[in-house]
Amino acid sequence: MIYTDPRIGDYAVATHGLSKRYGRESALHEVDLRVPEGAVYVLVGVNGAGKSTLFKVLMNLERPDAGTAEVFGLDTGRDGPGVRAQVGYVPERQDAPYRSMTCARLLQHAAAFYPEWDHAYADHLTRALGVRPQARIGGLSKGQTRRLQLVLALAYRPPLLLLDEPTDGLDPVVRRRALTLLAEHLADAPTTVVISTHHIDELESLADHVGVLRDGHLVAQMAREELQRTVRSYQLEVPDGWEAPRELQATGLRRSSAGRDVRCTVVGDEREVTRRLADAGARVRQVSKLALEDAALAFLPEDPS
Amino acid sequence: MLVTLDPRDERPLYVQIVDQVRRALLDGTLRAEDPLPSVRELAGQLVVNPRTVSQAYRELEGEGVIYVRRGQGTFVAPTIHPDRRERRALVRGVAERAVVEARRNGLGVDELVPMIWEVAAEGEGSPSTSAIAPGEEEGVA
Amino acid sequence: MTAPAFRTAERRARPARPPVPRLRAVLMEQIRAAGLALRGTALIVAALVALVTLVAGLQSLSMGVVRNFYEWPTLLPGLMGVLLPVAMWARDERSGQGYLWTLPVDRRQHAFTKVFAGWVWLMAGIALFALWRPVLTLASGGSVLPPETLHVLASQVALAGPLDQTTLRTVPWAPGPLIWFVPFTAATASYLLGSALVLGSRRPLRWVIGTVLAYAILSVASDAAGAQLRVGWVADAPGGLLHLLVESRYGLDALLTARTGTLSTTMTLTTGERAMVWRAVPDLADWRIATVLWTGVGLLALWAAASRHREQRRA
Repeated sequence: MIYTDPRIGDYAVATHGLSKRYGRESALHEVDLRVPEGAVYVLVGVNGAGKSTLFKVLMNLERPDAGTAEVFGLDTGRDGPGVRAQVGYVPERQDAPYRSMTCARLLQHAAAFYPEWDHAYADHLTRALGVRPQARIGGLSKGQTRRLQLVLALAYRPPLLLLDEPTDGLDPVVRRRALTLLAEHLADAPTTVVISTHHIDELESLADHVGVLRDGHLVAQMAREELQRTVRSYQLEVPDGWEAPRELQATGLRRSSAGRDVRCTVVGDEREVTRRLADAGARVRQVSKLALEDAALAFLPEDPS
Repeated sequence: MLVTLDPRDERPLYVQIVDQVRRALLDGTLRAEDPLPSVRELAGQLVVNPRTVSQAYRELEGEGVIYVRRGQGTFVAPTIHPDRRERRALVRGVAERAVVEARRNGLGVDELVPMIWEVAAEGEGSPSTSAIAPGEEEGVA
Repeated sequence: MTAPAFRTAERRARPARPPVPRLRAVLMEQIRAAGLALRGTALIVAALVALVTLVAGLQSLSMGVVRNFYEWPTLLPGLMGVLLPVAMWARDERSGQGYLWTLPVDRRQHAFTKVFAGWVWLMAGIALFALWRPVLTLASGGSVLPPETLHVLASQVALAGPLDQTTLRTVPWAPGPLIWFVPFTAATASYLLGSALVLGSRRPLRWVIGTVLAYAILSVASDAAGAQLRVGWVADAPGGLLHLLVESRYGLDALLTARTGTLSTTMTLTTGERAMVWRAVPDLADWRIATVLWTGVGLLALWAAASRHREQRRA
């Protein structure tokens, strides 16, 4: 873990040394997740980085090999029902149960399990997301199933939302609508959200915390402001044949055709980095803020290309 | 009132919202007693964390720019004098950013200030660069 | 802009106890959901029943086949019981990942609840079956109520070729009212075993095929070994095991058909007619004990299978 955000206060989700292996592959390796209450926490990582596994452990769909996880102070392994009663979960897979039921009937089914179910709100969400109540679940497309799963997760206003690629399979218009609904949902009641997505740019303004998973390791976890403060884009003027000093771990390095202008992303305190770059012979021309997506990607390995 | 957010902007999102409300007051888009969108509405429109909107509204409320009418929503304060205070706050914001940027590029303020006059003189006449002075109408250039 | 029609929740303190649903509500909903899920299966069964009724009706009308009371306890309830779990449990539920397991109910308890929900509908189906059979019997002119007269073999005679009437003696058989319960208990026990198999293993079909294959291989191997070693019991071992499980006094047949299946065969008599011939008179006491035995085994197996899905901290 390079950077942590040791906030004092209640954590909605906290894991301690969480590890999970599938055969020889390590899906999670000693993950110490910390999601403050009320946060909108974006989980970033490439496919197979362990994001879905993390969600499943929190729901006790998968048991860890080591470590523990707590949701609102309840152990996910011991108090499974208590945890799940307070969580709205949209899973990665896109198949809904009871293929012969209609959407409306499935919502009715779910309502029996959640005493706080709000039928009027469920109707509103159904209409807003374009879910057809009388459609048979077996005949739904992936996108339609996904929308239904969103209604299923939000309708009882759980204090915690675990959303695993919630906008996956949705066209841009519906994606926007789903995120709008999410923003409004957050305004209605204090809710903590942990959301994993490939469309980080969509959550640009919604997220206030970021966690980066790389090969099962949580390599970064911090408030979004801190991320954008410590990960910046540096525009440099450099002598010929200049290479960035290795200990700076500069990523996204781009060189102009003349070789004298270089742009790169570096993680670290701005003044410190500028000094180190100057020591290495580069002249810092401009330092700029990165979009959330680019800042988070700085922690992930670059393409070998 | 239309609010747009720029994620690349150095200012935190809530500051952007506050500044845009101030700007709207300055150019007359928002007047005294005008209603503002609720936190819920604005958060939904911008797809932004409602806490960000709340923070912006709290700051504006703290400065007496807006107020909350029980059960009816948020409104612009009746006694708002957009000219002096809002204008001053906006100008200050721009100045602060310019100074930081200059320092970052290793430039001194004594280089910056004359250059501002020069650039302003060049840009005169095009709508995007001319400021709207109080009392003026915005016309077609 | 008008306020939304639903209530926007005020800030609420986190409840001291999480809002977990009550068992009764979960049970009722699972029963309803099982009913909905089994609609398709029910239609197929109804179609088959209609077909069989038609065939039986035609047989009775054209060939005067008369059905009797002792033909009632058949393997059908057992079969229905064993196959129902296959229709009830979807693949992702069996693998532990399905929507069912994301609900705020204790997982092992939820497995039992769902099994129970299916059982409720199974009993309803068996009840219909228990009504249908006597209707068929009456329609074909047979007798619905015991006592029956059975043709029992007087001594252990090899059942080959046409039988002489004299080797048979007629015995009145009044099994008592408990025989009406046989389809229900048979279906219940086989349902428990079937549910245990479906819930307990990731690929139940593999287990079934594997068992059959293993038995076949074992038979061949033991035959060969027995011939080599010249020890009779080795060759007979697999067959003996099967006999023990199925045909013995408290075996599966006792459970499923109160032994009316294995104790009787249709034979041709020397007079030319065909009749049901019995090796012994079936005793309902055997059925009672077999029921207790196999239901117990089923419950234990189900407990083990449901425990595979229980809430646990470690992998």
